[in-house]
Amino acid sequence: MSAAIVASGLTKAYRSTRALDSVDLEVATGSIFGFLGPNGAGKTTMLRLLTGMAKPTGGTVTVLGRDVATSSKAMRAEVGFLPDVPAFYDWMTAEQFLTFAGGLFRLDGALLRDRVAMLLDLAALTATTTRIGEYSRGMKQRLGVAQALINAPRLLLLDEPTSALDPIGRKAVLDMVASLRGRTTVFFSTHILADVERVCDTVAILDRGRIVANSSIDELKKRYGKQRVVVQVTEGSDALAASIARLHWAQTVTRGTQGEIEVTVSDIAAARHQIPALVARQQTGITMMEAGEFGLEEVFVELVGQARP
Amino acid sequence: MNGYLVFSIKELREITRTWRIWVLPAIMIFFAASGPLVARFMPEILGTVGGAALGQLALPTPTYFDAYGGWIKNLAQITLFALIIMYGGIVSSEVRSGTVLLVLTKPLSRSAFVIVKFVVSCVFVAAVLVVTTALTWVVTAITFGAAPGAALWSAAAVWLVLAVLFLAVMTLLSVLIGSPAGASGAGIGAFALLAIAGIWEPLGHYSPAGLAAHAASLAVDASTTSPVWPVVTALALSAVLVAAAVAVFRRKEL
Repeated sequence: MSAAIVASGLTKAYRSTRALDSVDLEVATGSIFGFLGPNGAGKTTMLRLLTGMAKPTGGTVTVLGRDVATSSKAMRAEVGFLPDVPAFYDWMTAEQFLTFAGGLFRLDGALLRDRVAMLLDLAALTATTTRIGEYSRGMKQRLGVAQALINAPRLLLLDEPTSALDPIGRKAVLDMVASLRGRTTVFFSTHILADVERVCDTVAILDRGRIVANSSIDELKKRYGKQRVVVQVTEGSDALAASIARLHWAQTVTRGTQGEIEVTVSDIAAARHQIPALVARQQTGITMMEAGEFGLEEVFVELVGQARP
Repeated sequence: MNGYLVFSIKELREITRTWRIWVLPAIMIFFAASGPLVARFMPEILGTVGGAALGQLALPTPTYFDAYGGWIKNLAQITLFALIIMYGGIVSSEVRSGTVLLVLTKPLSRSAFVIVKFVVSCVFVAAVLVVTTALTWVVTAITFGAAPGAALWSAAAVWLVLAVLFLAVMTLLSVLIGSPAGASGAGIGAFALLAIAGIWEPLGHYSPAGLAAHAASLAVDASTTSPVWPVVTALALSAVLVAAAVAVFRRKEL
């Protein structure tokens, strides 16, 4: 199966600034792809290039097998897009906007009516008859997601779709995105790591216009994530930290704000056995001990934080 | 329905549901209704205002041509000025608000976006012109007892060509200049240039610069030359300006 999005050496420069710098990316058809990055990393620029709203200064990008630069209109017919801050015609109602949006895709008659009704229900706006100008940001965000689905797209491009939503609205959007798995390719740009962990199969991390990681979440954790142990003792923390640091599986030993000892380890099983033994030898007590893997958040901080001055 | 039609319906509805339905019609209705009355009672008004200073001055008896002339003068000056201000954001307002993103990421071409905005604006201005010219015709007939239509409608038609030209100018300026106020300022500059250019006779006869003068002459049945050349060149220039706006907008990053 061909990839839904293929970017090769994709670059976008504004005068001296490179918003995107030689980005190579493939998004598998039917996948939910998390596009992760801190604010200002270049995520929105990437979406502007994917939608044809901006032109690359270098490299190429194809969407659903079509070159965005040359077949923009045909490509757009199969794509749904939600910008980070969706702006609507304030004088319209949600139903009028969805009908208008469907009309631009040449939908009409019963098909359009049914789809508008279904999407109003999905966006929890069926009972809302006020004009969009009176909507809260969350309501606009939900309507934004609904309009992006009006054409039953093969590819859905979402720019920060949950950023303005309350927990219930956020869950509804994430459930909706998850329900599209296998049928629609979803390109999900966000800086909310929990959302990515919850719904995405694959993730790319963008920092300062460059892709710094691109793989499945599990693979990413395996490759970049580290195992760690956090231990807190009743007394003798300094001596215990020094003893742990001498062991071969201890990679880094740091102290937390509450005096706890944080150890990144190469062999979690050995750490689990030997740390309690060291504590016993010091004749002190353990008040807390946790052992496990770094999550995506730690991987993200590790990768993006490396580049920070 | 194709994208052109869907977007045209949206543009027409937007006019009727926003401030746009009030501004231009209100200005034009005011002049259409008051102009003939002002023309009819001008000698009395001047007599009251001027008093003894005008006592010796014999003012001609007003005719319906004075009402027509006043109507066209108001169209060519204040109304055109208002039109330039109103349409400074004809394209850029959607770019600035961000609504353009939810429209142009759907299968509507950028050409359609610009052309529909221009055409719908022309239709709206033409519709308001027809209604208000009919109003001033009726008020003139009531006020003066007679109001032949040919002079009034031919002058209004020539003014409509001038309005179409300025809508094309504003469409291009709105694509080139992101700020509606900046585009309106440039539009007023174009208005002043055209007025100055019209003073030179060859330009007045053969270019759009002569439209305002031709409209004024037709209104008082005093036209000595045909307005065909100014009308044809204005329509051709309008087409060129809109084509340029489309070409620039297609290359613009949004």
